[in-house]
Amino acid sequence: MCCDCENNEDLISLALGDEVPDFTIKTYEPTKGDFGEFTLAKTMEAKRWTILFFYPGDFTFV
Amino acid sequence: MGADLVTVSVDSIEVHLAWQRHEVGLKNVKYSMGSDQSGAVSQMFGVYDDEAGKCLRGSFIISPEGKLLSSEMNYGDVGRNIDELMRKFKAYLHVSKHPVKACPSKWKDEGDATLEPGAKLVGKVFKEDGTY
Repeated sequence: MCCDCENNEDLISLALGDEVPDFTIKTYEPTKGDFGEFTLAKTMEAKRWTILFFYPGDFTFV
Repeated sequence: MGADLVTVSVDSIEVHLAWQRHEVGLKNVKYSMGSDQSGAVSQMFGVYDDEAGKCLRGSFIISPEGKLLSSEMNYGDVGRNIDELMRKFKAYLHVSKHPVKACPSKWKDEGDATLEPGAKLVGKVFKEDGTY
């Protein structure tokens, strides 16, 4: 499994049923009008589900 | 519903801010808008398009235990059906609370027909899944 994605040339992407390695990304939080962060481990700690929705770019459709 | 929804693209958080404030359709956005400028997270999920330097359209559902339960990826310019993503999320939530139940394709929400996999179901799925 991919542990250190930034330095791993032979990337193996996740398969269904895999444990997702922890990651953090910077966010914009429209409800606060401010910047923030999303960390998978924090959402798991709060016993919440995560839905990730990737798209090619802002100012396009989803 | 107990989930954190995060949208992700390679755009910066500043561009997310500008887009959200200027696009009328995004006025009431409640979800977090993630920025994966290095593409590292997109690569991990297999949705990074190296040639374009952008994410493909991909949706993923991760359980509170951190397990990847569902994935959908579309190449090119075909959009996703958000209702189907929410249906799958609700179904996973339902199955996680009722481990012996299974949610068939036509299951939409609490109260709809579920299945109990087992010998009694063999050959009778069509009677039980809401099709007939």
